[in-house]
Amino acid sequence: MAESLISPDQIYREVQKAIADALQISEQKVEPDSSLIRDLAAESLDFIDINFRLEQRFNVEMPRKYFLEHVEELFGEGTAIDESGRLTEAAVTIWNARLGSAGPRVHAGMPLDDVPALVTPRTLVMIVGEILATCPATCPSCGKAAWAVADGSPITCGGCGAHAPLLAGDDVIRRWLEDFRARGGSVSRAS
Amino acid sequence: MVVTGVGMITPLGRNTGETFEHARQGRSGIDYLRAFDTRGLPVRIGGEVADRWIQQPPGVAARLERMASRAIQLMWTAAMEATEQAKLGRIRDRYRIGVILGYHGETSSLGDIARIFRAWDGDGQWDATRLRQGGYDAFSLVRHKVDVGPTLISRIFDCRGSSIGIASACAAGGQAIGEAYRLIRSRRADAAIAGGCEASLTYLGLSGFILLKALTERYTSPPTASRPFDRKRSGFVISEGAGALVLEDLDHARERGAPILGEVLGYGDSTDAYRITDIHPQADGAVLAMARAIEDAGVERGQIGYINAHGTSTVQNDALETLAVKRVFGERAASVPLSSNKSMLGHTIGAAGAIEAILTLEGIRQSLLLPTINHETPDPRCDLDYVPNVARRFPHRIALSNSFGFGGHNASVCVGAFEDG
Repeated sequence: MAESLISPDQIYREVQKAIADALQISEQKVEPDSSLIRDLAAESLDFIDINFRLEQRFNVEMPRKYFLEHVEELFGEGTAIDESGRLTEAAVTIWNARLGSAGPRVHAGMPLDDVPALVTPRTLVMIVGEILATCPATCPSCGKAAWAVADGSPITCGGCGAHAPLLAGDDVIRRWLEDFRARGGSVSRAS
Repeated sequence: MVVTGVGMITPLGRNTGETFEHARQGRSGIDYLRAFDTRGLPVRIGGEVADRWIQQPPGVAARLERMASRAIQLMWTAAMEATEQAKLGRIRDRYRIGVILGYHGETSSLGDIARIFRAWDGDGQWDATRLRQGGYDAFSLVRHKVDVGPTLISRIFDCRGSSIGIASACAAGGQAIGEAYRLIRSRRADAAIAGGCEASLTYLGLSGFILLKALTERYTSPPTASRPFDRKRSGFVISEGAGALVLEDLDHARERGAPILGEVLGYGDSTDAYRITDIHPQADGAVLAMARAIEDAGVERGQIGYINAHGTSTVQNDALETLAVKRVFGERAASVPLSSNKSMLGHTIGAAGAIEAILTLEGIRQSLLLPTINHETPDPRCDLDYVPNVARRFPHRIALSNSFGFGGHNASVCVGAFEDG
């Protein structure tokens, strides 16, 4: 329900703005599939800045760990990344399951160090959208179903003014992985 | 060792030329503070740098502004002037260019502290989610750290040799020059950006010095508040600014045809190891720093034509610096002119040593001694030639620039005209 409060278009505009502000470039330069690192020259510190701006804007907590780090944590070391720091077949399978055919492509044997360059505005929009979607139907403080979004504000309860309780970004990813496993998604270690 | 570029931004001007000219005219850069509301404070004056004088570094470096405190912005403004003059960008081996920076970081702002407190329940528990509310940026606390200074200056000017931060209070700018001089002399670098910066004209920055009783609280008007060596002096006036020099090995500078503005001839430093803010009663540390600088330069004491005094306008410093000069120069002390740029600029703390060394070099180049303004009432303990109130034409070749810091850090830099051949 919260998804309809803040549309993907609105999220995209905020992501675009956060990137442009952090990198001191014009918003026109930021396109949905620009690689933050390759096309927009972002460095690791810039990711912190961009995430922090989005966290403030939406009152969310962006993930602290990369998706494949979560895979390793949940399914065991070596599942997604082999000993030489390269992506396994299992990593590719689970990556494609999560990001779909429209997402940035990975392949087995790709160095993990190349993965951050795959982050695009589109992936950030997806992450923010997923977190916002964890907003419960009713406000846990007052029980009302009256979420509202004033212009440029995070989701707040129209009844009591409380901020929407949203899942942290890392928890959203973990939950997705658990669902994936429950659905019978196979994640076996590369042999 | 030669100086191939100089730059500064001070309450008296946006660059070296403007600052020197206004100092030559005996103008004061001290006024009522405008940067924040000083109501209720016993000190309401200082030497501010106009915001519009701060330059933006070129290219991708503009993004670094997020990480830069005001002091660092002043520093890169000064360094842009110095590196352009030295044509530092044309040096091919970037791995042999160092950055030695006198800088203490900055006190967190009241706003930063208030935000942190909003995330604290008062009982040892922090709510990190509250740190994400309120519209401030991710670097607001990190930005003030000391190490960020050399990092940003090295990055902006692409210097990949040693990068060293110097934190020695009012001696930092002088020590930065001295350490850069040692770095190049020991062949660990061909060139270095050396300098210092300071921007503490904030509520908390001022409060710290007020609590130490270091600032003058008795003044009839802002421009007359800083009065080094005058009997009615009662403390220093705090200012902001930055100074930058490009130091370079002579052969290296010659080979690439860099402009040669003067020489760094020697450097001496010492520590009082006495009391935290009191100076040693016989000024032992200051004597040692000056004597070492002269010895290091390989010149005779009689060759020193001028001393750019630390001259803070505190009762203690000016009397003891006078004593130190007498101990170093003996009977000749009365005939060595010394003057205090701080009478006009105020005290730029970490930047002072760098700014004053540059002004000393400019004085040598122009055969001119900058005055000590507001020198009206003689003090029996301060009875040397302070170049009172009016600049003086005076050809000289070699000079000392003194910087003595709270905590007993003493630095003296010996500079001279470039003697070819």
